[in-house]
Amino acid sequence: MKSLKLTVNGKYHEVLVGEHEMLSNVIREKIGLTGTKIGCEQGSCGACTVLVNKEPVLSCITPALKVEDAEITTIEGLSTDKGLHKLQEKFVEKGAIQCGFCTPGMVMVALDHINKNPKTTKDGIKEALAGNVCRCTGYKKIIDAVVEYANENQSPVHPVKDLGGKVGVGRPYIEASKKVQGLADYADDYKLKNALHVKFARSIFPHAKIISIDKSDAFQIQGVRYIATGEELPVKFGVLPISRDETALAIDKVRYVGEIVAAVAADTEEIAERACKLIRVKYEPLKEFLTIDDSIHDVGSNEKIHAHVKFNNNVHKKTELRFGDQQQGLKEAEVVSKMSFEMEGVSHGFTEPHAATAYWDENGLTIITATQVTHYLHRTLAKTLEVPLSRVRVIKPYVGGGFGGKSDPFPHEIIISHIARKTGKPVRVRLSREEVFLTNHGRHPSRMTIQLGANRDGTLKVLDADVVIDGGAYGSFGIVTSYYNGVLLQAPYKLNNFGFRTFRVYTNKPQCGAMRGHGAVNSRFAVESLIDDIAHKIKMDPVELRMKNFLDPDSLTVGQYRITSNGSRESIQKVADQSDWKNKYGKMKYGHGFGVGCGFFISGSALPIIRNELPQSTVHLKVDFDGRVLITSGANDIGQGSDTMLAIIVAEVLGISTDKIFVIGADTLLTPVDLGSYSSRVTFMAGNAAKNAAENLRGEISEAVLKGKEIPSDELNFMEDRIFSNDKRINLSWSEAIDVLTANRGAVSVSGKYISPKLGGDFKGAGAGLSPSYSFGSCVAEVKIDTKTGQVKLLNVWGAHDCGKAINPLAVEGQLEGSWHMGIGQALSEEMKYYKGLLVNNNFLDYKTPTTLDTPDLYTNIIETIDPEGPFGAKECGEGALHPVIPAIANAIYDAVGVRVKKLPIKSEYVLELIKQKEQSKQEVSI
Amino acid sequence: MNVAQKSYLKPRSVEEAISFAGKNGSSFRYLAGGTDVMVNKFQGNEEANCLIDISGINELKQVTRDENFLKVGSLVKLDDLKNYPEMENEFPVLLQAAQEVASPMLRKTATIGGNILCENRCVFYNQSEWWREAVGYCLKCDGDICIATGGKKNCFSKFVSDMAPVLIALNSFLEIADAEGEYKVRLEDIYTGNGLKPKELNQTAIIRSILIPVTERYTCVFKKLRPREAVDFTSLTTVVSIDDHGKIKIVLGGVDPKPVVVGGTISSHVEKLIEQAVKKPRIVDNDFYTRLYRKEMISVFLKRSFEELRNILTIK
Repeated sequence: MKSLKLTVNGKYHEVLVGEHEMLSNVIREKIGLTGTKIGCEQGSCGACTVLVNKEPVLSCITPALKVEDAEITTIEGLSTDKGLHKLQEKFVEKGAIQCGFCTPGMVMVALDHINKNPKTTKDGIKEALAGNVCRCTGYKKIIDAVVEYANENQSPVHPVKDLGGKVGVGRPYIEASKKVQGLADYADDYKLKNALHVKFARSIFPHAKIISIDKSDAFQIQGVRYIATGEELPVKFGVLPISRDETALAIDKVRYVGEIVAAVAADTEEIAERACKLIRVKYEPLKEFLTIDDSIHDVGSNEKIHAHVKFNNNVHKKTELRFGDQQQGLKEAEVVSKMSFEMEGVSHGFTEPHAATAYWDENGLTIITATQVTHYLHRTLAKTLEVPLSRVRVIKPYVGGGFGGKSDPFPHEIIISHIARKTGKPVRVRLSREEVFLTNHGRHPSRMTIQLGANRDGTLKVLDADVVIDGGAYGSFGIVTSYYNGVLLQAPYKLNNFGFRTFRVYTNKPQCGAMRGHGAVNSRFAVESLIDDIAHKIKMDPVELRMKNFLDPDSLTVGQYRITSNGSRESIQKVADQSDWKNKYGKMKYGHGFGVGCGFFISGSALPIIRNELPQSTVHLKVDFDGRVLITSGANDIGQGSDTMLAIIVAEVLGISTDKIFVIGADTLLTPVDLGSYSSRVTFMAGNAAKNAAENLRGEISEAVLKGKEIPSDELNFMEDRIFSNDKRINLSWSEAIDVLTANRGAVSVSGKYISPKLGGDFKGAGAGLSPSYSFGSCVAEVKIDTKTGQVKLLNVWGAHDCGKAINPLAVEGQLEGSWHMGIGQALSEEMKYYKGLLVNNNFLDYKTPTTLDTPDLYTNIIETIDPEGPFGAKECGEGALHPVIPAIANAIYDAVGVRVKKLPIKSEYVLELIKQKEQSKQEVSI
Repeated sequence: MNVAQKSYLKPRSVEEAISFAGKNGSSFRYLAGGTDVMVNKFQGNEEANCLIDISGINELKQVTRDENFLKVGSLVKLDDLKNYPEMENEFPVLLQAAQEVASPMLRKTATIGGNILCENRCVFYNQSEWWREAVGYCLKCDGDICIATGGKKNCFSKFVSDMAPVLIALNSFLEIADAEGEYKVRLEDIYTGNGLKPKELNQTAIIRSILIPVTERYTCVFKKLRPREAVDFTSLTTVVSIDDHGKIKIVLGGVDPKPVVVGGTISSHVEKLIEQAVKKPRIVDNDFYTRLYRKEMISVFLKRSFEELRNILTIK
């Protein structure tokens, strides 16, 4: 250890640091400024950027001793007693902050760039931010904020905008200013006294029997406090009750490279890590199943990955639904397109690695963890730790993005809870980026053959899909994924003859699960490609063809989905107009093209994962003498802005401003149950519950102020912080009204709830994909292709999404832009690459999330159709928007060079190969 | 268990740095910007107990000029190269190459010397300790097999510097100081082509400066293949230079354990030169792109480079 002198944000520090300790660690752990984030530890994401003597530096790869005597500015040092730095204000105002985890780094880099290049341009800003990864925003609002700051920097007057709180008026997140200052605490920012640190010993075999685990050498290290192995936590879990196939630590055998075999708790992370290397595990390798092909065939009964699988194979689930007769339909169709597709797996790539802290006290277990779904974790912890539900408290702190990747209960959460109980100490864990990738639960690698039949007039007649998805070692959400690959093809087009069959196979790889656009992204890409092909075959404009086939509002699909509001037509019209489709599509030079795609998605699953009679969402409101309304909701704000959405809805109903509202979200001790942030359900379900609660509170207030007065309650108005009757006989300020309400009664608490209506058919599988409402959308993409290298340059994406009603348009735009960005990544560069079961690209350098420079201009359009059952007409916007963008890109490639893309990601070498094949076949024809 | 004593030293002069190195046997590593070394250290590819941070040695941060050379101190940061007018005026291709290294943030720390000495890379080697154990250690981490090729003899970890191919195309030299003294060497001569030990330098060696000849004028075209427009290491770097006497030099990076050089003159058949350049590198499947694709791109990039050169030269 060495003594290091530093001045951080103007304050002098002298700290003891390890000789090779990183500056990021010193700033976060020793100086306690946790606004500096650690996303990758390899200088590939930019979240850890600080200024050292006014120069930006990646603190995660900078040894602390390198910066001796330096003056350091962290994100916490930018704001002053006069308020936020103007650039921070811009980030807040423009909605550039979603999960907020990349924000500190973005702000530091942007600030440095503008200080040094006051006359910079938008391109200059994009270039400067190219080393900072954001997974939420698609960079658009970040770039807008920085551009606007650069332009206004000179002007001395800076108007502070009213933040507002009305439905339909865009506003920043309620916590945005906390996030932009680095003051929002994420899971790894909680530091409990005497906490132990946990590290894991992980399997180095894809499939092997565990013969023995020798912990003795590891125990020799001073500072090691506990070593946990599988038999201590024998209860199986899994997010779906129908596939609980996982234990927290491997028992008897390992099923993928990276599975946790032992967990060491020690005084420091370094000690725990060293001890892990000394745990000697003897394995007996078993036959490996690494691909779909390996797993689809019959195997010996003792070779199976899971003993519980019914037959002698590794098929986890077969799902099949048929409406009509597909064989007959395909015979009768005037034109048929049949193609086979292959898609690699992709991962969520959220910027905040998983982290958690657990402790036990007189109230039982408390765990603070980066989770999207506190409720299922609550249940899982009670089950696996074998304690009553009443002894488990799950707290969600600020979460740095999830996209489905934080929606399962995870082994590390169970393990640290267990060790905390055993040792009586708080226990912390944070996963490295490599471990985050190994934890995966990302999109399934898929293979599918799909046939689509139509008439020559463009009417779609029949669709048959045959799908296999590679689930990896465990179940996760996989059964739902299996269904979604099929059932979510029955819209947005009318199809009376429709069927699918999906197999989900187990393989010896990290498990796949739910990821943004769950289950239907790959099959949607396939179907939209087929539609494009049919359009070419019958020489019809693909926009027109789609227009002809869209389901109408207030209709039923063949599988009995109830379609209510439907903005498909408006969406495609919007992007066609905006992109000048009529004059561009099919009319560009060779190598330059336009493509279109559509999509739809559920607005929350109508059925809960665990069958019970609880409402899908309950929201509590409490108002006390001070007039502040406290919203408590179990919904998980993970950066998508759901806390703000709840505040806006309650403010709207009560006619008050959001500064009178406070939200506590996702703490299972304090908040009523909400099923969590998955299946794009929160705005619809928690939003409806909040609206219901606010109406109940409004009823209580009405009753109190109308007491003894002969005024009908419908003549009472709640507006602009006042409550008044039409005749103004009642004319109270909000606080006067609250005085009346609480007199002789005290604080008033009310509850609101959302229960989905009974929907759907009564056949097996009818529940899959049922939702009280569906979102719809469309994208047009413009590409240029280098026909000698195959490189695809995505120039523009125009997108439109029917979200019913945008409660907070700024947040909705952010969701759409983030979805498109993620789709662009899957389309062009992202994949989970394996070598013999080992994930090869397990870091932010090798996993190719698009940078600012790889992200084209995004044109964002919100389509509003006012859903009859959504809160104020709102429905989902967080996932469905991803669906159309991938096929739009693929179809643009067809328009540009006439080749049909059937693989994801669309790497340049693949495009080149297709171009060559095409040229060759042309030559053959001419011979 | 004993944990080896770690140390962090900050010499003020090249001489002091070399003497620190001498005292630390084999377990030391010089650190300039650290953007390469620290990442390798995080992954466990770099295990030196002693880090000798040379970034405080001011004599290595100068850019000077004599009648023969522009002397660029090895610690000049990639992002700072643009601050020297002679770069823009005489060697714009160096600026272009610098601009395409890694990300803007990394370029603010990474140095030109560090880039030249950047460790060779391979998808099977640049992994965590745990990962390499799981895959079965490769030749480059004391194992007995090259995972990329299945061979037992040669390591094909790829050379990934983007600055070095340009500097080689400009016939640059290095001024080196080591425990034995000081000497000048042609840049291209320091690379061995052996993926296990890619550079032929004494362990204590420090690059004082890069000597770029100013007596000759070059026209140069630089191209880089990478999956994304920022952050990524090269999958293929091509540089073609032609001097006033019509001497052509092709340098390739990212496709072999060392920079691959093919020479010719203006009277050579360009096709032949390109053919040689495609044949010469030992490309293996250790990259985002396949071996065959990168091989094919050599020819595409070079054809384009020659076309661009022709255009530039005609205009001139």
